[in-house]
Amino acid sequence: MLVPMKRLTLYALKDDREALLLALQKDGNVMLIQTDDKTSLPGAEEVTSQLDKAKEAIHFLDSHGAKKSLLAPKLAVPYQQFLLESKGGQQAMDEAENLASQIATLRNEGATLLSQAESLNPWLKLDIPLEELKGTETTDCFVGYLPEEDLEGYLKATEKSLVDINRLGIGPEGIALVVIAHKSQSQEIKHILKEHNFTEALLPKGTGLATQVVRELKTEAEKKEKAALELESKAKEIAGQKDQIALYADQLAAKGDRLANGGTETIKTFCLHGWVRHDRTQQVETAVKSVTDAYELTFREPKEGEIPPSVMENNKLVAPYESVVELYSRPKVGTVDPDLMMAPFHFIFFGMMLSDAGYGLVLTIALFIAMKLFKPQGFAGKLTMVIFFGSISTVIWGAMFGGWFGLEWHPLLFVPMNEPIKMLVLCFGLGAIHLVCGMLIKVYTLIKAGDIMGAVCDQISWLIMFAGFFCMGMAEGPIGKYLALFGAAIILLFGGREKKGIISRLIGGLLSLYNISSYLSDLLSYSRIFALGLATGVIGMVINTIAQMLLGMGPVGVVVAVLLLIGGHTFNIIINVLGAFVHSSRLQYIEFFGKFFEAGGRAFVPLALRTKYTEVTK
Amino acid sequence: MITLGTALAFGGAAFSAALAGVGSAKGLAIAGQAGSGVVAEDPDKFGNVLVLQALPGTQGIYGLLIAFIILLKIGAVGGAGVKELTTFQGLALFFAAFPMGIGGLLSAIAQGKVAAAGIYLTAKRPEEFGKGITMTAMVETYAVLALLISFLMVYGINI
Repeated sequence: MLVPMKRLTLYALKDDREALLLALQKDGNVMLIQTDDKTSLPGAEEVTSQLDKAKEAIHFLDSHGAKKSLLAPKLAVPYQQFLLESKGGQQAMDEAENLASQIATLRNEGATLLSQAESLNPWLKLDIPLEELKGTETTDCFVGYLPEEDLEGYLKATEKSLVDINRLGIGPEGIALVVIAHKSQSQEIKHILKEHNFTEALLPKGTGLATQVVRELKTEAEKKEKAALELESKAKEIAGQKDQIALYADQLAAKGDRLANGGTETIKTFCLHGWVRHDRTQQVETAVKSVTDAYELTFREPKEGEIPPSVMENNKLVAPYESVVELYSRPKVGTVDPDLMMAPFHFIFFGMMLSDAGYGLVLTIALFIAMKLFKPQGFAGKLTMVIFFGSISTVIWGAMFGGWFGLEWHPLLFVPMNEPIKMLVLCFGLGAIHLVCGMLIKVYTLIKAGDIMGAVCDQISWLIMFAGFFCMGMAEGPIGKYLALFGAAIILLFGGREKKGIISRLIGGLLSLYNISSYLSDLLSYSRIFALGLATGVIGMVINTIAQMLLGMGPVGVVVAVLLLIGGHTFNIIINVLGAFVHSSRLQYIEFFGKFFEAGGRAFVPLALRTKYTEVTK
Repeated sequence: MITLGTALAFGGAAFSAALAGVGSAKGLAIAGQAGSGVVAEDPDKFGNVLVLQALPGTQGIYGLLIAFIILLKIGAVGGAGVKELTTFQGLALFFAAFPMGIGGLLSAIAQGKVAAAGIYLTAKRPEEFGKGITMTAMVETYAVLALLISFLMVYGINI
């Protein structure tokens, strides 16, 4: 069911604003609305940049040994302590940031040195110290690379010149050359070199032979790396302070949330707008009252054009299925929350698709333990619960169909693989009930909105027709036929009622009668329940058959068979849980929701303490 | 002795498992390449990306399933000894493998492409992950239908 929302308006003194926002955040029941373009309070940007830094520091420490296992519980912090901004956290953050940037600089410098050393590779054979690579009184010197394919042409062009060429190693840009030309011809040589795509080499600064310079560069780079490693071990030492940074980050995030929206203001006062659940207004008022009595707080119904967020509320058994709806879209405000109607079908379909009681038992126990250990909250918690319910359903349907770890054992109903037609009828039967439920919800909403004509002509007419088909199959006599014809007649006559003129209206009716094909394809879609059940069962059988073959092969075979049984069935469970969840959700989204659901609701995101790393206690 | 019919039935089993398997491998590869790119940017998305990448993997499983049922039917697994099928029985089993083989091959590749698109969708808007999965699952419908009809055909052949 969708919870009705009230619009909140709060006027108070600016002096009390900080305390009020803090109280509202602790209470966590108000979603503030941005009214003007610029409503964030001063300091908000600073908090955001500080928060980014803290996150980076945490990331840095995580990659230096501070990462805890997923099992570790969140750090518990009392609320009073949470309010005091952690000085230690700030210091630790600065320290981590400092270390990170130092390490990065050292690594960068080291990399530069190494690449310089590498650029000298083609010059290692050179027997002239690098600093002496320049012209003399009578010669000019060119140092650089010439592409291999151009070398021959160059040699030919300079055959008769006063020039000496010293060929060295090959680099990525070509052959490394030292060309010494007589001054009288150096301009000419330079020109020829250019014509043959000569590029001048920028050799690293250094004195001595190339080999020596390379050695020096490499030692220098090693030194930098060593220093970086030292700093990294220092980072490992302060990894223990991650908790403090985490607390600081959460405090910053909470502060950022508070500063994000300050409302509209005058010199002395300010005004906040927001949404509150209709049953929480009293709680909000108490929170405000605890801060000050100089306030004016009103709650009213939303006006036209004001779209409140969609909040779904259901009982404990149905609430987890809200996650399935959220994966699709929240229902639009003022429409039907499909959870209650959807939950039983999702439950049944999931079980039928997995349809192995053994798998169901394993999954039920595993999820039960996992939920006790991890205590997943929010969306993840709901999703886990849906699969937990689904695994219970799997036990039930597995027992019905006699599937136990891929083996057949005392089916309570029948074995789908041996009686596929019976199974298909069961799937289509459940599918028909599912679709009719969807259509009935549409009838309900149409009648509630006063569109009786639409309810009768577009929905009930089809239901009459389907009832007719059902009777034709089940009961003797012509009743079914007449019912079906009656339904079809309504559709034919009124399906195109928006059109003018008898003929175009009849054509419109005929076209809407053609919709029967879409209902048919909807119904056929439910055959996937059988197919997915088949997949689980037969893959289980395959694993068992291979294991049985292995069992006859002596002790090694037994060990391999046991490993295969465990690994294979685990794989089968995982892949089929994914399939069962995706396809039973799909049957809701496409077939069921398609009949009535109106998507497009907004999420309810109240101002609250949303901590990522810590858990705030009283 | 193995008759022509039995050999044809083996052909059907091979056809179904091989083609659907190739399709799934291609589909997983397409989605996996997209996934690696996204994970390179944001390693935290690995879980979501893996779920999307896994979806085109089912066709290979379905193909194996039909192959296994055919082998079961002709007694090639289970130790009872291979049955001698008439040529027409074998041919019928061979044809029964067609929907799964071809349907699996092509639908897995197509599904891989949608999964890759879904992975990009998740990279840009992580909150729309569920929609990416739903759209990818739409393609799977036809693999499921192929599986079903192949199964009914194999089931319907009397030996």
